[in-house]
Amino acid sequence: MDSLLDIRNLSLVFDTFDGTYHAIDDVSLSLKPGEALGLVGETGCGKSVLTRAAFGLVPSPPARITQGSVKLDGMELLGLTDRALRQVRGRQVAMIFQDPMTYLNPVFKVGTQLVDAIRAQHGGAIDRKAAREIALDMLEKVHLPNPLRQFNSYPHELSGGMRQRILIAMALAARPKLLIADEPTTALDVTIQAQILDLMAELVDDMNLSMIMISHDLGVVAQVCSRVAVMYAGKIVEDAPIREIFETPVHPYTKGLLGALPHPFRPADDLESIPGNLPDLLDPPPGCRFAGRCTFRRPECDAPIPLAEIAPRHSVACVLRPGAVTPAVAATKDLNHA
Amino acid sequence: MLEIDNLKVHFPVASGQTVRAVDGVTLTLSAGETMGLVGESGSGKSTVGKAALRLVPSTSGAIRIGDLDVTKARGPQMRKLRSRAQMVFQDPHSSLNPRMTIRRAVAEGLILNTSLRGRALNEKVAGMLESMGLPAQFHDRFPHELSGGQKQRVCIARALALDPDLLVLDEPTSALDVSVQAQILRVLRRLHEARPEMTQLFISHNLAVVRFLCQTVAVMYLGRIVEMGSVSRVFDAPAHPYTRALLSAVPVPEAKRRPDRIRLQGDIPSPTALPKGCAFHTRCPIAKKGVCNVEEPPEIGLEDGRVVRCHFALGPAPE
Repeated sequence: MDSLLDIRNLSLVFDTFDGTYHAIDDVSLSLKPGEALGLVGETGCGKSVLTRAAFGLVPSPPARITQGSVKLDGMELLGLTDRALRQVRGRQVAMIFQDPMTYLNPVFKVGTQLVDAIRAQHGGAIDRKAAREIALDMLEKVHLPNPLRQFNSYPHELSGGMRQRILIAMALAARPKLLIADEPTTALDVTIQAQILDLMAELVDDMNLSMIMISHDLGVVAQVCSRVAVMYAGKIVEDAPIREIFETPVHPYTKGLLGALPHPFRPADDLESIPGNLPDLLDPPPGCRFAGRCTFRRPECDAPIPLAEIAPRHSVACVLRPGAVTPAVAATKDLNHA
Repeated sequence: MLEIDNLKVHFPVASGQTVRAVDGVTLTLSAGETMGLVGESGSGKSTVGKAALRLVPSTSGAIRIGDLDVTKARGPQMRKLRSRAQMVFQDPHSSLNPRMTIRRAVAEGLILNTSLRGRALNEKVAGMLESMGLPAQFHDRFPHELSGGQKQRVCIARALALDPDLLVLDEPTSALDVSVQAQILRVLRRLHEARPEMTQLFISHNLAVVRFLCQTVAVMYLGRIVEMGSVSRVFDAPAHPYTRALLSAVPVPEAKRRPDRIRLQGDIPSPTALPKGCAFHTRCPIAKKGVCNVEEPPEIGLEDGRVVRCHFALGPAPE
């Protein structure tokens, strides 16, 4: 099956007063139609920048895309004019973000904003009445209680969970092919988070939607996504089906992240904490960017390591991956046999 | 060690209404106990922690820390309270003075409350920071030169400098990344081993973190404790329908989606207009008309020492 989204060898830097900040380095990621991918990593790993840069949402300057390509349904997006990109965003690709209040205008009724957004999605080709029909229909789809009343409310009259439902309705009204959800439940309480995650899983199934869900929480991603890409310091270090990420993770960073998560139903004696800090991306190491914090570090780690497939749909960027037998690994094996 | 009896904290709001942030909370922590206080936003869990240290005035009820009556303390007693009970807050960035070196931040409490000065003071401060994994080269830095995890460790060192009997931690890891959260959780776990006599009240919305750190847990909903008991009993066999729903909403880091999910409908009601009867009945999957919306549930003690506030805590859920 052809990819819906195909990001190839994308690199992005920020020009700062202190030098060039290598935020995204040679990242490739593709998404099939109907697939839900979780993009996971800690603060500053580049997960939000990557998805925004792909759709022209990172202002340049200071950002500069130095190489790569981004194709949506076969169409190259890099180099498109702002006008052309606006046709893509909102219609083919929709986004929702962490804090729903920030994305709603506090002085207009929710319904007005929905109608305006829907008319814009249609390039003004439909009248307010038709847009209102679509809006009410979408509010029903996102299980907003009492849609007609909420339609006439102001954002401050609604709870965080209700606002996020409204933004999901707005994003999906144009029937986009791809939804980017950037930490959509981080600002919500756990019972409300569970409601929104259920809704998202349902919509991905019902509307044949593809989704990239950005999160720092592997537990959240597991509720909705079938595949996970783990990012560290501007690179994807592991990309695999969700089951394999949890059951047979390969990259030491993926393992570290999993070991750092306390489990609510399995009491643990200890947690793993990853020593050290992120590398300085003004002057990133030439090889593996995790090497400075990795307990398995060996000399080969100082040379660039590409993401390579170790099993169908499971790729890792680490010298430890099965198949990438290096002299040092071979030597330890010999020792074990001796 | 800490005794809270029928604590109420009500805040008047502009419209003439009253926010019943805490509405009758009773709990007891024995010396050395680590209790998790969990609930969603607006449940009143932070207000309980703040009222326990008199950082917010309580409307009624009694709070005792050891032999100190917190609600009635004045002058020198108040000062004693401040050195015996310490707090660590959620956001380390805003709880450190940006113009003070971290050495100074930790020293301040000691200067105000002890006679330590000069070299002895410096050694004590350096020892506190080092025990939190911050070696000497950090001690003259300002907060903006530290990462979030390092700042939170400074806050913990500052709280421990006076060797308090009670430590209240209000969401100390919520603003941190997962790997940094793990660091802080390990620090707190070791702390409990190093100072087994210190009592800790750990306020959090993250149930997995509470499971890792605490021995007992109290679950709050709209200003009341709905279930309280040992962590293992409450997590493995929750008795209150709210606890059950809360636990089943926790995203578990596993590939399998959980089949036993209970989804609550709607949002938490406003604390200015608490529902009649049981405050949870508007969202409760087993609420019974004529009972739950009329009568406030009594506190029921279970055989394993748990306390549950639900009409149906003992019997099976009604049809």
